[in-house]
Amino acid sequence: QRLKAAVHYTVGCLCQEVGEDKDVQFSKQSIAAISEITFRQCETFARDLEMFARHAKRSTINTEDVKLLARRSSSLLKYITQKSDELASSNMEQKEKKKKKSSAAKGERTGEKEAAVAENEDYNMS
Amino acid sequence: ERRSSSLQHKSALFPCVTGQKQTSSHENWSLSPEEYETWDRLYRIKEGDGIKEPVLPQTRFATLENLEEIPEQEQGAAQELSLWEWSLWQSRPFPTALVGHSEPCHHFIRVMEMMEQMRQEQGDCSYGRELQPHLRVEDVNIPRNKRHLHVANS
Repeated sequence: QRLKAAVHYTVGCLCQEVGEDKDVQFSKQSIAAISEITFRQCETFARDLEMFARHAKRSTINTEDVKLLARRSSSLLKYITQKSDELASSNMEQKEKKKKKSSAAKGERTGEKEAAVAENEDYNMS
Repeated sequence: ERRSSSLQHKSALFPCVTGQKQTSSHENWSLSPEEYETWDRLYRIKEGDGIKEPVLPQTRFATLENLEEIPEQEQGAAQELSLWEWSLWQSRPFPTALVGHSEPCHHFIRVMEMMEQMRQEQGDCSYGRELQPHLRVEDVNIPRNKRHLHVANS
């Protein structure tokens, strides 16, 4: 529930930004629906990421696994690959110790953004 | 009558079932002349059929630049298969034959169900009300004004 609440809050913030940008308003119910979809999509992502890593005989999920989540759309894949490259190069500049930490966090964040993108799509459809 | 004749000819499409003789002309990836004839007569959509060519919708991202090929010109001549037209039917699992529903499919059904329940609500939202007490400030990123606009644009 705590996790759901955090997702709901963040989705609300994102929707507000999109709303300001596109000059539309989201009803509370549509934000709730997007949150729930995001929450559930994370489950799907997590499962897939785990499987992709295992398929490559790894137990640690890396950015290549995250890219596989975006394989169905070349636009999305390009976007995720760009982000991943950006993160990788900015990580290079940092210390070796820090590098490890942020690359672990990176996977999560990329997935989250992608979820938000996918959710917007879903919303547009309904 | 189309349907019954297509059933009759179904066996022609699976030469492996009907015998060795037909298999020999079917070593290629493409249709044999007989198969082509069957396809042309029974299944191929032609001008006079009064139905449009079915096409699947293209993936479009509202927030990303789209690299995918531009859809064909004659959009009006084709019947785009809709994934939302029957959304009211989708709040419960549809029957299956050999392949069960996947986990993502069940998620989809449950979300459709949830949206169905929220459809009647006005103003205040039960989902938000339920979650409100569980929100912890340390879980969320408060000042995210500029950052995500940038994400949406790039």
